[in-house]
Amino acid sequence: MPTHRCMSGRLLSRLARAARGVAVVTLAGAAAGCDLDLANPNAPTQEEIITSFDGLVAVAVGMQDQYAATQDDYLIPNSLVTDEWGTRQLALASYTTLLTGLEIDAGYATIYGPWANSYETIRSANTILSAQVDLGPVFGPAMSSLAKLYKAMALGRLIMTYEEVPIDISVDAPVPQPRTVVLGTILTLLEEARTEINSVPDAQLSEYRRRVIGNDFDQANVIDAMLARYYLIAEQYADAVTAADRALAGMEEISYFSYSSPDVNPVYAISVASQYVASAKQWAREAEANDDRVPYWADTLVSPVPNTAEEVFALNKYQTQTEPLPAFLPDEMKLIKAEALVRQGAANYPAALALINEVREQDASAFDEPVADLPPVVLTTEAEFLAQIEYERRYELYMQGMRWEDVRRFGAAVAGEAPTIEFLPIPQQECDANPSDPCGA
Amino acid sequence: MRPRHVGVLSALALLLGLPGALAAQTGTVRGRVVDATSNQPLSDVQVRVDNSTLGTLTQANGEYILANVPAGRATISARRVGYAVSRQVVDVPAGGTVTQDFALRVTAVTLEEVVVSGVGTATERRALGQNVETISAEQINQAAGVTSIDQALQGKVAGAVIIDNNGQPGGGVSVRLRGTGSILGGGEPLYVVDGVIVDNSSDALISISANATRDNAALSNRLGDISPQDVERIEILKGAAAAALYGSRANNGVIQIFTKRGAAGAPRITLSTEASQSWRPGDYELNMAPTAVHTDVVFGGASAIGAPVDRYDFQDDVFRTATGTSSQLAISGGSAATQYYLSGTWDDEEGIIRGANYGRNSLRANLTQQVNDRFDVTARGNFIRSLTKLIPEGEQSYGVISSIQFTPTTVNQGFDEATGRYRYNPILGPSIFTVIEDMKAEDEVTRFVGGLELSYRPLPSVTLRYLAGIDDYRQESKFFRPPLSMSAAFTGDITNPLLISRQFNNDIVATHTGSFGSDLGFTTTAGFRYTQDRAETIRAAASNLPPGTDLVQGASQSASQGRTEFRTMGGFLEERAAFRDRLFVTAGVNMDASSAFGPDEREQFFPRASASYVLHDEPAFQDAAPDWLSTLRLRAAYGETGGQPPGIYSRFDNYVNVAYNTRAGLVASVTAGNPDLRPERQREIEGGFDLGLMEDRVVIEATGYTKKTTDLVLSVPLPPSRGFSQQFQNIGELENRGIELALNTMNVQTPNFSWSTRLQYASNRNEVTRLVTSADTLQFGYLNYVIEGEPIGIFAGGIYARDGNGNIVYNSTTGLPVRGTDTLDVNGVATVFNARRIIGDPNPDFTASLQNTFTLGERLELGVLLDGRFGNDVANFSRRIAQYFGADKAVEREASGDTTARLYTLNLTRHLIYEEFIEDGSFIKLREVSLAYRVPESLVARANISGMTLRLAGRNLYTWTDYSGIDPEINFFSSSTVSRGVEFATTPLPRSVSLSASVTF
Repeated sequence: MPTHRCMSGRLLSRLARAARGVAVVTLAGAAAGCDLDLANPNAPTQEEIITSFDGLVAVAVGMQDQYAATQDDYLIPNSLVTDEWGTRQLALASYTTLLTGLEIDAGYATIYGPWANSYETIRSANTILSAQVDLGPVFGPAMSSLAKLYKAMALGRLIMTYEEVPIDISVDAPVPQPRTVVLGTILTLLEEARTEINSVPDAQLSEYRRRVIGNDFDQANVIDAMLARYYLIAEQYADAVTAADRALAGMEEISYFSYSSPDVNPVYAISVASQYVASAKQWAREAEANDDRVPYWADTLVSPVPNTAEEVFALNKYQTQTEPLPAFLPDEMKLIKAEALVRQGAANYPAALALINEVREQDASAFDEPVADLPPVVLTTEAEFLAQIEYERRYELYMQGMRWEDVRRFGAAVAGEAPTIEFLPIPQQECDANPSDPCGA
Repeated sequence: MRPRHVGVLSALALLLGLPGALAAQTGTVRGRVVDATSNQPLSDVQVRVDNSTLGTLTQANGEYILANVPAGRATISARRVGYAVSRQVVDVPAGGTVTQDFALRVTAVTLEEVVVSGVGTATERRALGQNVETISAEQINQAAGVTSIDQALQGKVAGAVIIDNNGQPGGGVSVRLRGTGSILGGGEPLYVVDGVIVDNSSDALISISANATRDNAALSNRLGDISPQDVERIEILKGAAAAALYGSRANNGVIQIFTKRGAAGAPRITLSTEASQSWRPGDYELNMAPTAVHTDVVFGGASAIGAPVDRYDFQDDVFRTATGTSSQLAISGGSAATQYYLSGTWDDEEGIIRGANYGRNSLRANLTQQVNDRFDVTARGNFIRSLTKLIPEGEQSYGVISSIQFTPTTVNQGFDEATGRYRYNPILGPSIFTVIEDMKAEDEVTRFVGGLELSYRPLPSVTLRYLAGIDDYRQESKFFRPPLSMSAAFTGDITNPLLISRQFNNDIVATHTGSFGSDLGFTTTAGFRYTQDRAETIRAAASNLPPGTDLVQGASQSASQGRTEFRTMGGFLEERAAFRDRLFVTAGVNMDASSAFGPDEREQFFPRASASYVLHDEPAFQDAAPDWLSTLRLRAAYGETGGQPPGIYSRFDNYVNVAYNTRAGLVASVTAGNPDLRPERQREIEGGFDLGLMEDRVVIEATGYTKKTTDLVLSVPLPPSRGFSQQFQNIGELENRGIELALNTMNVQTPNFSWSTRLQYASNRNEVTRLVTSADTLQFGYLNYVIEGEPIGIFAGGIYARDGNGNIVYNSTTGLPVRGTDTLDVNGVATVFNARRIIGDPNPDFTASLQNTFTLGERLELGVLLDGRFGNDVANFSRRIAQYFGADKAVEREASGDTTARLYTLNLTRHLIYEEFIEDGSFIKLREVSLAYRVPESLVARANISGMTLRLAGRNLYTWTDYSGIDPEINFFSSSTVSRGVEFATTPLPRSVSLSASVTF
């Protein structure tokens, strides 16, 4: 390769050897200039990253940022096509189309964002998983586990937003896969992630936590919670119960996605900074009287702009720039368990009812989570159980990105209002640029 | 085959060993050169020994000395721009001196003029198949009030569109040679000063121009650092055929600048000084209606529509009559072996907006030493310091012109006794006066441009030339907004970017001249070039500033750093065959390698070939041709050049920094790297003729060209599921075709009166022929688009709805015009909203200029230059915004007429009908008028003065145009490649006059 690169140098040096007087100066210049393989001093390249321990650690940090910082792109369709959010006067046309379900254009950034952002996270995860350097007995399994967790969560965001999505993105023409196939991949990734993180004794993880995930994110606990979430969606109810039990038992603190400066909480960004969205009034109105979870999430006394007809209340949560977002809320696990129990048969109804009433009657928490402080209910039929679980999830897991999937799973009959659209269309750029013709043009 | 053989032989002779010194037998040639008509001495005449590199310049008294001339018979030639070459054969005595005088005859054009021609060695123009334009020092400096070299070229180069970006002193100039040849890459030519590649970047270090979120280039460019007064001549290599020497950096052409040299003789001291005044070319016509319109009410200037109001026009307080001074002291001279040129220049120029100022100090030393009769050393150094105080403009809340256009005239931005401050502007924030008086936007440049050139002649037929050049500068910018300036809650901020740039080039060129008998001559040139550019930007910023400081201090501070490094390396070989000194055929190839490309595509070959046939020297032609036909030359050239990609690290998958949870992280760029990126490649064919009539009193130069640029780098969308959004690929293609004509006439030539005329015409047609997909429409700026089958940068935007007869459709209820729609359904209802339709073209149909020069008696010279652009559209966004905010005079109609319809103010429908604001931007400017008087020597001789010239000059004194704004020439988007022809919130070009005196001792 060097001879190739220095061809012009050789051409010159032949000339220069002959031209004695000037040759010395010229050769010096030619030798100094021979190297045209200049690296980018501003940033490392892919080749440098996958062979560097520190580079991969930095990608693991960056991957968490890619996921956390784009949660708004995921929430915008999720909360707008359902009954969680309304738009404000400043909102872009693309937001309004989600709210109404009319004239949705696959070219909109709101359609592109959740797709592209999730795949950027997945690409970072793939980079970590293709490490060409030995990361050692601690960082090796821990970072692999983290990459699989984020890849699974990104795929999860995708299937909760789009009907069919590609999994293998290393090829030129990724092919969208049916939802069940993607769910299978998610669960496989999460189970592998669980095995890997549990292979490292917790005492050895302190350096890993210091460098990669911080102390406010319990990786093993989040993996269990995600297993519970996706086993439920996959209708593997026994596994969902087991995972939810582990997640509840292992939970010491809420795990968070962090937004320390210069990052900005994405809900703050779209509700406070740009004032595009706020809480739909309908959501608050349809709550039981004195459900304390409503004022936890929204300020039902404040319409964003007094004397306007905007059908929204101000949000009350995630309204400061650095407030973190929870990876999951503890009562989601109880409600997953309750639902999985109910769906496994009437024998489990008493246990499910106990869990539902635990959620309802909770009036205080050591964690930053909503508490309902409502009287217990008595439920007998499956339909009643599912309707109640749907209600609790609607107010417990407000703007946690679960509502759209819930409405699809419970059906409009149970959940009240149908979403304005079933899924987002595949983004136009994917249709245009993907040779596999994912949109069937 | 035979000629080629000889070429190879001559190359071999060059390569194989250089014999030791022959016994040196030299003598001296001296003499005097005068104008054949007036008998006045001519200075700065190049006197050379033919077929060697020996040469010198005449002094003010016309005298020259050439030392170290090999003894024996030699041909001496004397050349000066505007005169025919004169040759004399002399016998040089060993160790003695021979005298040879010359009388030069004026011609309109000369084929014998020596140009450097892009291969790095001097060549007579007659041998070149490509058009190379030369501009002399007189042409550059005849118009006073010019601080930048490229400004001085306006109207003087056929095929060059030279546009001042704005009217601020030190503001940038944008140059397009033969159209635009890139889309995402740069459009500006490469500048070379005395063989040193110099930086002419216009990266916006601070956001005070255009619109930071759109297409943003800086208000200044770095060519402005080079003082025009030091320039001896400029060669413009317009096309690929001419610029091939610079290979993969030459797609936009090359402008070669040569600075002055010393000549043997007594020291010659020139002191020149100039004072100038400039003023705005017109006023924005503002709404001065006595009653309020809608916007007055909305922004708090009136209680109700129709209420009586006070209105404010601050233009007289914002603009001023600006003064400038420019002085130069130059000393040149030397002995037969040593020549020197030393100069210092001091410029200080006020802008027509209060607060704008440009100051430049420059020192130059050009030294040449003949070490012996074979070896010369030349060292050149130019140290420059400039300080530009800029006024923010463009679509900024702190733009000064925007403050006039975005603000209803009922808003009082004046001083408020109650608060002790200027009143805030309810739309933009800061008062226009706060911006002018309290904010600071500065560029301070400290720069060294210099080179070392060694020339060695081991044999009379062989020359080796080595040049090392460096352009090293530090640009310290500052943008400071003090606390309270933007709003009552504003706590102040400052950005201090520092750019450290160093460009180095290293050239070696070997030339061998040989002949085969008396009929066939050969010149073989081989060369090698290495360039290295390195730039580092360090940006320090702070907000929440304590009072009393404009340094980066305060509660919140940040810093960032970036670095780029770029290298190219290349060799070239050229062979020129001359048959009987009238048929010249040249072929050559460049091999270029650049660090911007991956190993597989790194080495690129750029071939070229040209032919020139001086038909009038052909005896058979002379016999047949009529007497009035004095010159006829045919020429043709083909060449290929390259362009660098938009980002020099685009070949990599790059990572960018992020922070997460207080940890440093990296995420991959969404732009995928492309290791197969290649240079954008331009292929040009040009052909033309030079025709001289009546002893060359009428000379026509005509050139036609067609150049095709392929492998244009475009951003190609990738499937986002791959985790990337785009990749730069070599996809696009575009073409430029055009003709360039110059008509030079010597209308009258008598000892007491002469009159000459140069008329130039150039037209260029640009067409984008391939994009990523044929349906692509790439938007730049507001309304400039790149669309297949259309010229680059074409305007597209909203249009009026029109009925079948082409009449504008009005809403029957409101009476307002209706915005056009693409598609109407069967009921006539719009189903597709028309976002845009092609509505104009900012590219001129043609450019033309007319230069008339009159000499009255022996002492008075008058030059008048008219310069025009024709058939180009300008988007008058100044008018658009001023109408939207009710500031424009047209809005007076709304005040006196229908107050409910809101024809103009905050009328979004009209605002989005861009068609409304496209105007014919054709203009003719009285670019330069210059009256020079040479004071009789007898009057000043007592003061030891050998020559004194007084000059009264004017620049841009008048504009003929139908354009409704102040100035159709400026461009909001500065030197942007695609975004052209938008007049918006930009300082207009001032009109200026100057008085100067130049004294030679």
